[in-house]
Amino acid sequence: MKLKDQFRFVQQNMKKNKTRLFMTILATAMSVAFLIVLASVGFGLHKSIVKETLERRIVTEIEVPGKEIESGGFSVLTDKDITFFEKIEDVKAVTRRKNLQDYSFEVDTHQTYAQAVVANMPAEIAAGLELAAGRLPEKGNEILVGYHFVENLRPAAENGEEVYDEQGNIKEEFRFKEDLIGKKVTMNVLKLEEGKELTESLELTIVGIRKQPTKEWVYDPLVFVSEDVLKKVEAFTGTPRGMMKDSNNADTDPLSIPADQYDHVKIYANDMESVKAITTELEANNYPSYSVINELKDVNVMFTIVKAGLIFIGTIAILIASIGIYNTMTMAVTERAPDIGIMKAIGANPGTIKKIFLLESSYIGLIGAAIGTIVAYAISFIVNFGLPLIIKQAFGEEPPEGLMFSHIPLSLPVISFVICYFVTILSGLRPAQRATKVDVLQAMRREV
Amino acid sequence: MITIKHLSHEFEIGKKGSKSIIPVLKDVSLEVKKGEIVTIVGRSGSGKSTLLNLVSGFIRPKKGEISINGVQTSTLNESKFADFRIEHLGFIFQSFQLIPSMTAYQNVELPLILKGVKESERRKRTAEILELVGLLDYQDHYPGELSGGQQQRVSIARALIVNPPIILADEPTGSLDSDTEDDLLKFIKKLNEELGITFLIITHDEKVARIGHRTIELRDGRVLEEVYGYEA
Repeated sequence: MKLKDQFRFVQQNMKKNKTRLFMTILATAMSVAFLIVLASVGFGLHKSIVKETLERRIVTEIEVPGKEIESGGFSVLTDKDITFFEKIEDVKAVTRRKNLQDYSFEVDTHQTYAQAVVANMPAEIAAGLELAAGRLPEKGNEILVGYHFVENLRPAAENGEEVYDEQGNIKEEFRFKEDLIGKKVTMNVLKLEEGKELTESLELTIVGIRKQPTKEWVYDPLVFVSEDVLKKVEAFTGTPRGMMKDSNNADTDPLSIPADQYDHVKIYANDMESVKAITTELEANNYPSYSVINELKDVNVMFTIVKAGLIFIGTIAILIASIGIYNTMTMAVTERAPDIGIMKAIGANPGTIKKIFLLESSYIGLIGAAIGTIVAYAISFIVNFGLPLIIKQAFGEEPPEGLMFSHIPLSLPVISFVICYFVTILSGLRPAQRATKVDVLQAMRREV
Repeated sequence: MITIKHLSHEFEIGKKGSKSIIPVLKDVSLEVKKGEIVTIVGRSGSGKSTLLNLVSGFIRPKKGEISINGVQTSTLNESKFADFRIEHLGFIFQSFQLIPSMTAYQNVELPLILKGVKESERRKRTAEILELVGLLDYQDHYPGELSGGQQQRVSIARALIVNPPIILADEPTGSLDSDTEDDLLKFIKKLNEELGITFLIITHDEKVARIGHRTIELRDGRVLEEVYGYEA
């Protein structure tokens, strides 16, 4: 018997008890919608968290805080470690920074406080540093400033309260409006001596401004100074990185830091796929590392478990609906026993009869799954649209921006269809087998 | 065409522990030749319906052999017998056994669907057969909308549609009035003479028994006697 004819048969048979069929399909559709909507919450939260993580970090970035030492604890990274990192396969760049203190910087009549950083410029360029204006520093007194440096410049003579608006931003009329490139900057370095604050002013020139960070929330007011500036600062303060001595105990020397030690080391991989191999190599050499990929791995594992759990709970709903399918199919076999008997009498193969009934149960399952999927998409849309409004109305709080309560990836309906199909085949199997066992003589003896 | 050798059958009745065995057929041997109409007569309980059911494969024999067209059908499993049945056997039942939710056309077409015949061929063949039995104008009628005689014609059309060499009939006129019975018997004879179809007919009706080239009487599960050329 051809499949097309089997389908025609099934359709004819299904028309015989429309109410029962409708209720069975409805139950199946509800269970599939329940499964999809339930699991979609897991998928939605997962997607939101991954999105949030990826937005805040660069996926090819690996942070290396130090090196584990045998006696326990960490050692700070030095040029030797940097050389090792640079030799690892697929490493694009290794940026290393030495952090100085926050200093007062004066530009004409304006001033601001910003952290000074010494960075390896070729490595920064290789890692993706771009300029909004100007060029990279070439001389010892040339500096590069962050994109937001200018926003923090305020008139030195003005009273603090007048300068800032209600949001804490510098009012438009007090902002520095000239071009920063080529401007002379005075960097005021402080030190404590015999309880008094002494200041050394270093004359520097702004030659470049870093490009605006791609992430809206990243704030970049840093000042990139040269090693020459660092040496001058250390020579004046007599402390590594220009640290201030404790004013209560001025005789105590701050922790001494060798010149080739770095406070902040980041490795940039050629691509996302290389991150895992690089972190493995680092771990093998006692360098603990942190990368967004590793963080996502943990998040993914956790959410995979959560999603599997939700799908499992949803599957229980489908199993409950399958009882309805089993009942419908059993009733169908009982009601159609005379027809089955006639078909067998004129030569229908038991295998064909089994196929027809299995087809019918899977038909119910698939129609239910299709309707359930459409309903689930509608519910998902309503939830994503309506729930933030409800939360806002009921609790007076805005849910986090970009939070997705429900997300239905294509894989979810596919999984639901497979589960539904499998369960309906299972529930139709016994009635279908019963149909093949219908006794021809007994069936034909019944009143039709 | 049909060879039955030493066929015995019995039914078990009652529940476990108090079962009793009722022998129905006892060492029956007979042969139906190609192109013959053989009628089997006997009183109720003589075993004639059981014999037909055994030949049809609806029940499996306890002892003995049945061979149809050279195939030992008594050893075929259910699935293989189904395939064999649709190729070699046509059936006419006393109560027509038409599927009430299908039209006359659909009932007649059913064996071809089960055989996997192409739709275009099915359409042509079904129309031919309905024409042959004189029911082309009634093809869209459901069995409930047809008279007894018309239903039996549909049943015959369904039996004929796959061109079976043998038709097994169980009390084919049992539900028909006298005039319709005569028409049907004439039609069976016509099919036998023109198409060479072999008929094995179970009946308790003398008029039906007369159309057989041979009539075999069963009594208490045994072949009592064979009468040749009753009508022929």
